[in-house]
Amino acid sequence: MSTELSTGMPAIAIVLWIANVLVDSGGQLAFKAAAGDPDAGAGVARWKWMLARRWIWVGIACYVAEFVLWLSFLSLVPLSEGVLLGSINIVAIMIAGRYWFAEKLTRLRVAGMVLISIGVAVVGLQ
Amino acid sequence: MRRFYLLGFLALMAFDTLAQISFKYAATQALPLEFSADWLLRVFGQPWIYGAFVGYIGAFFAWMTLLQHAPIGPAFAASHLELVSVMLLSVYLFDERIGPWQVVGALTIIAGIVCLALGEAELGGEAGDSVPPAPAHGTSSRTHADGHAH
Repeated sequence: MSTELSTGMPAIAIVLWIANVLVDSGGQLAFKAAAGDPDAGAGVARWKWMLARRWIWVGIACYVAEFVLWLSFLSLVPLSEGVLLGSINIVAIMIAGRYWFAEKLTRLRVAGMVLISIGVAVVGLQ
Repeated sequence: MRRFYLLGFLALMAFDTLAQISFKYAATQALPLEFSADWLLRVFGQPWIYGAFVGYIGAFFAWMTLLQHAPIGPAFAASHLELVSVMLLSVYLFDERIGPWQVVGALTIIAGIVCLALGEAELGGEAGDSVPPAPAHGTSSRTHADGHAH
């Protein structure tokens, strides 16, 4: 955020970008929690079960927030840059999945995350 | 079956691209950005925002249909191909400039996505370890993740 980190992006765009990553990760985790509930059953009963519980609504709320955040972010940065910077969501969600759902981080996944992070840094700091 | 994949992935890419292009148009037409009811009215008062909805919904169904047959690895990679189409269209439609560093960054990100796709293919079918194919950016991917989770 300081002058050493001259990203060329206005500070508000950086705030929107970080907020988007956080809200998107939170939303995906919430959907995973809703969809992965082992007690949910199947078919229509499963949907009733999910809709009566908190997680799916947390996910939907995150979607709505994200919609506004992404639109605002794109008001401030070029689209070609925006979609590249948005790739960091993949990394954030994989790390979150590792902590919350004990998903495996295989070598290829770690390699992919590192490459995407480097790519985003190159685009963001150019 | 090859035709199914080809058409499926093209449809997915087209819908994702439509969503992003529409978002940019909607954002531009609603300028200046302000966190107020006026801004939301400007956003929803022009047609592009509905193009974004169509793109989302279309991408969701394309993804769900593809996953009936497609292996998750290649499907994951292909679901992020809109990075390329969106960048090219940004130059054409919005006169954006893509500098050399942006090309380097894009290629690195794409290499990373290919690694993730190979990783998914390797694990293919292991229950309970499916990382949702996250969207290339916040919004468009949610449909993928949602589809994947079911």
